[in-house]
Amino acid sequence: MMSAVKFGAVGLITLVIIAGLSIPLSSSPRGWLEFPLIPGLEEKARNIFFHVPTAWTTVVAFLVSMFYGIRYLRKKNLDDDLKSSISAGLGLLFCILATVTGALWAKFNWGSFWNWDPRQTSIFILLLIYGAYFALRSAVEVDEKRATLSAAYAIVAGLTVPFFIFIMPRMMSGLHPGAKGDASGAGPLFESRMMAANMRVLFYISMIGFNLLYVWLFNLRLRVARMNHQRLSNS
Amino acid sequence: MIDFLTEHQLYVVLSIVLIVWVGIVVYLVRLDRKVKELEQTMKRDR
Repeated sequence: MMSAVKFGAVGLITLVIIAGLSIPLSSSPRGWLEFPLIPGLEEKARNIFFHVPTAWTTVVAFLVSMFYGIRYLRKKNLDDDLKSSISAGLGLLFCILATVTGALWAKFNWGSFWNWDPRQTSIFILLLIYGAYFALRSAVEVDEKRATLSAAYAIVAGLTVPFFIFIMPRMMSGLHPGAKGDASGAGPLFESRMMAANMRVLFYISMIGFNLLYVWLFNLRLRVARMNHQRLSNS
Repeated sequence: MIDFLTEHQLYVVLSIVLIVWVGIVVYLVRLDRKVKELEQTMKRDR
């Protein structure tokens, strides 16, 4: 099971990097080995294979963190607390990656790295919320107390994630695709007509690849945390 | 740097791939450090 995850993550992401960077653009694409030339995006359209999956993995990781938070409060098993915090940590990692890659893309499409677009504002708030989660964890010494407090926090924080990722940036007008009044349609870029079938397939492969990468990193981190926990409870 | 990237936008994509890669590597290095600490304390306990 885990080896499928590892090979899947490495294989799919490698495929996406090679195909995503090397398939040529064409203003009249024929067949599967040419991407359409999207006016205004051109080569930068390829960013969608790497920027969006990091943001998506952020959502998955934060929701998994909330799930294990709920499970901890119901069963009081410290292993669920480990899982909840590890997932929040991975969510924070991918959230930072989505923010930085987004800022770089913004420089070349919107003219500046940071302009407090609704999308940038909402992801910044998410970074603060989950930064505070780790501040909270490091402030409490007793295991059970820390686990209960951070589980409750993870649930409340998880509830805000869909709002800041899917709702707020689409209610307000902004430069990010999917914002209110967006000319290309109401939805996110990968659902728009501008994307060809081959781009869409590669995009979904990338989404799966990044999710598998998340599962792999989660598993690695969990095994280390469990060993550490075991050693502490033995001594 | 910015001028070069504006001129050659494929390198913007390459930069984004590298940012993601660096993020994953940083995570792995920190995980590696945790494993090393664990190994050392286990050696001491024995």
